[in-house]
Amino acid sequence: MADIARPVTLPGAARPAPPRRSFLREHPSVLWFMLILGIFTAGVTLLSEAFGIGLVSTSLVKILGMTLCLCLLAVAMDVVWGYCGILSLGHFAFFGLGGYAIGMWLMYARTEILVRQSLEAGTIPPTEREVSEAVASQIFSVVGSNELPLIWSFAHSLTFQLAMVVLIPGLLALVFGWLAFRSRVTGVYLSILTQAMTLALSLYLFQNDSGLRGNNGLSGLQNIPGFLDVPQSVISMWFFWASALALGLGYMLFAWIVSGKFGSVVRAIRDNEPRVRFLGYNVEGYKLFVFTLTAIIAGLAGALYYPQAGIINPAEIAPIASIYLAVWVAIGGRGRLYGAVIGAALVSLLSSWLTGGGAPNIDLGFYRIVWTDWWQVLLGFGFVLVTLFFPKGIGGLFDRLVRKQE
Amino acid sequence: MPRTARAPWRWMSFLLLALTVVAVPARADTPLQDVLQTVQAEVASPARGTIPDVLRALLDADAPGTLEFLRAFADREVVERPEDGLFFIAQDGPDRSLILIDVDSGAEIATVTTRDVNQIRPNAGVRREIAAALVQFELSAPDPARRIAAMDAIARSPDPEQMPILAASIPDEPDAAIRARKERLLALLTARFETDSATRVAAIEALTGDVSTEARRVLNQLLQTEAGHAQFVPEGVNIARIRVVGEDLDLLRAHARLAEDGLVPPRPGRNAIRDALRAHVVDGHVGGIPVHRLTDEATRREAYRALQEDGLVPPLPTEAEMRAAVAQFTFYDRYLEDDPAVTTAARAALDSTRTRVGLFQALNLSLEALSLASIFFLGAIGLAITFGVMRVINMAHGEFIMMGAYTGVVVQMFIPSHTVSIAVALPLAFAVTFAAGVAMERLVIRHLYTRPLETLLATFGISIALQQLAKNIFGPQARPLTSPDWLAGAVRLNDIVSISTIRVAIFFLALMFLILLIYILNRTRLGLEVRAVTQNPGMAASMGINPDRINMLTFGLGSGIAGTAGVAIGLFAQVTSEMGANYIVQSFMTVVVGGVGSVFGTLAGAGLIGFLQKGIEWFNPANTLAAQTYMVLFIILFIQFRPRGIVALKGRAAGD
Repeated sequence: MADIARPVTLPGAARPAPPRRSFLREHPSVLWFMLILGIFTAGVTLLSEAFGIGLVSTSLVKILGMTLCLCLLAVAMDVVWGYCGILSLGHFAFFGLGGYAIGMWLMYARTEILVRQSLEAGTIPPTEREVSEAVASQIFSVVGSNELPLIWSFAHSLTFQLAMVVLIPGLLALVFGWLAFRSRVTGVYLSILTQAMTLALSLYLFQNDSGLRGNNGLSGLQNIPGFLDVPQSVISMWFFWASALALGLGYMLFAWIVSGKFGSVVRAIRDNEPRVRFLGYNVEGYKLFVFTLTAIIAGLAGALYYPQAGIINPAEIAPIASIYLAVWVAIGGRGRLYGAVIGAALVSLLSSWLTGGGAPNIDLGFYRIVWTDWWQVLLGFGFVLVTLFFPKGIGGLFDRLVRKQE
Repeated sequence: MPRTARAPWRWMSFLLLALTVVAVPARADTPLQDVLQTVQAEVASPARGTIPDVLRALLDADAPGTLEFLRAFADREVVERPEDGLFFIAQDGPDRSLILIDVDSGAEIATVTTRDVNQIRPNAGVRREIAAALVQFELSAPDPARRIAAMDAIARSPDPEQMPILAASIPDEPDAAIRARKERLLALLTARFETDSATRVAAIEALTGDVSTEARRVLNQLLQTEAGHAQFVPEGVNIARIRVVGEDLDLLRAHARLAEDGLVPPRPGRNAIRDALRAHVVDGHVGGIPVHRLTDEATRREAYRALQEDGLVPPLPTEAEMRAAVAQFTFYDRYLEDDPAVTTAARAALDSTRTRVGLFQALNLSLEALSLASIFFLGAIGLAITFGVMRVINMAHGEFIMMGAYTGVVVQMFIPSHTVSIAVALPLAFAVTFAAGVAMERLVIRHLYTRPLETLLATFGISIALQQLAKNIFGPQARPLTSPDWLAGAVRLNDIVSISTIRVAIFFLALMFLILLIYILNRTRLGLEVRAVTQNPGMAASMGINPDRINMLTFGLGSGIAGTAGVAIGLFAQVTSEMGANYIVQSFMTVVVGGVGSVFGTLAGAGLIGFLQKGIEWFNPANTLAAQTYMVLFIILFIQFRPRGIVALKGRAAGD
């Protein structure tokens, strides 16, 4: 359409090349985001207990680091939902799978160190088999087993488990997405299908013989093998930096992907899928790529989140978590990456502040509003209002600001 | 024979337990102490010859507390006070004292030393007499419940001595059903304890095809085996099977069995080797191998053999040595029952029963599946209507189920009669959730018809708010929704096939809704309009149907059905604020598998999912979670092949 509006150039004359503008200049919001993220990270570092004046406690650093991971997850969710129009209710499951993959190594390696210490106190050194049996009975006695399940065969290898962080969510998303997209399951059907996948996964993990300790989940993940004598205040900062870096890189990657021609096609699929298909694009390929890539990033975010949380169990993966993720993105504003970050950070921090008992209760005289009881009610109805009256979410406010300036 | 002498007391105490449960009716006749005084001398020094008179006197009078007294009498806990000749039950008190308990009131009378009273010690013969009399008495008791309780006690702990007593009570039995039960019980006892082989075999053959748990337990008991081994298979041993080492018996296991009997020296295991090595560390070496190298099994064995050559540790046999040792013996499983005719008959009876048991199990499973399907149908049909007509996904549907259940709970707070309260709760729950549904449609969903994905989110917001509200109002713990007594039991065909009455009721409720919905949709003006809007809203509007009104009513109807279903579900599941969330995903599955917008589709979906889940559970009964996992996986695959469900709308009605 733009070509028609352009002034006609003389035949034979070279068409002027469109001015090449840098990616960052075209998307100033990315630059702003990086700036704010950098200032935030530096600020927290200077206020932390380990590297600063100690105003920000270690547990707060952990919460902030975890929030950064959730923001990365929300950005991934925004790309798959806000840009590609797939309301996936499975991305928190991918997040959890990443956490499980790294959690297996954390738990195995730490238990192995402890087991070796106690066994080597004996007169003769332990055999490999004795070590692995002792580790297995340590980890699995809680589910009444003392054998190492098959899926733990490579849990001693950090490289292998790191590969799993990427491969398990990636392959699951690839296979599931391929099955779902090729049979043209779209819209609410697809949402329900992804929810079913999440449900199946969490039900599977709830079983004691799933090999992942049933509803006990994996615990003690905050202790990093090899750095057991480093204080948590320092480790929490390392993870905070890693989370900030991951969010920065992830944001940049997604911002780059959704701009340009690829991004246009993806948005077009969201707006009118059949039309894009008739234009000759391989719609399934695009959707599959976006779905799988976001699943992988979600897995990575999970692998950074759970060592900070210290524990992962199947309840984390339950379908409700994925729906909350959608709520964050919707409140923050779909179709803009910073909106997802704002939504995730705001709602999850507010939620942990209000449900953690940090907020003062309000005494109305005749009734006392206890936030731990009423926060969910507020969130639920607030969310209905946002959906009804502010479909663009908080991000929509920026639009108004910009419009006013113009 | 100390075992048989002791045995009657064991089952007699069961019997007494059973009898105390069967409420003893208040009898205002002579107190027990007075009855005892009439036979004072015989009780004070019981003898085989005089005890029947005592028992007859006691049992004829049937004073309260007789059974407890007899139990104490048999357990040698009765004492006589020499001053007045009264009898008491004695319990051990502190410092070897005795606490005297009144036989009538059960109250503690006094604490005395053992010297103050005469302890009465009936001998084994007397005690057997007491037990037999008790059973006989109970088996011919006028109250049928007591007769049944006596038989239950016998079935729980059978004993050969009960056979003549049981046989004697059969001819006088007036109740045909109890008589049949007695005869079967006698057959079971005969099969187990009779000494004559032919009679036993006949009794066992009579059990063929009997699917009751009791009969199968007796047969299985007859077929119990124990492992044995000998150099030659001994004569007169009833061999179940011979085990071949290396095929159906592990070599190590066989060797260990010989070692247990001391026939061969035990083979040191991994831990024994490690401990032996630990005990023989010399200058950081074991058997000439430095300690730090002992990190694998092979090196450890090598070090052990070195120790063995020095004669320091017991030998570690090689595989060939073990084979040679084991080859000298025959390993077998033998039946505990020595009579081969009996075990053969029992095996045959059990084998032929197995098919029947399998069939009944399949029948029971089908009933359970049907019940599950009707629950899924109840949960999903409301959703199917709203989803089908309005293409709107209602994530708060589960909360309407919860709302209905809580309506039932509130009604039960005001109406104490369970039957009346359920009768009130069912329509009231419909009304409440109908109103809630209409309100939600008017306030929220109406504004989002063009944005279906956002309806999903908005209704989800409502869902979490309602859940938390319910938790704030009713508390986080589960509330009871009690079913009326006439729904409390179970419908039993035999020991295998039984289904609780409440599930039958739910099945009929689901059936009622099915018929009602089909009637409304196919035979009423509203149904016609609903179908028109389902198929083509635009065209329906042009024909003078008000889609707004239809949408509102449909949504109310769907929600109302969910509320009514909630009352039914609350009757057998716990009423909590999260109960709706447990059903929502399954309800969606049902709708999606069945096909959107069709009552029959939902029915088919519920049937498929219910039967599938129970079918999967059959293969792995212990694990309901696994069944659910596989079912969801199956549904995901199913959608691949029939993306529009079992009953798919065709043509333009399908929407695209």
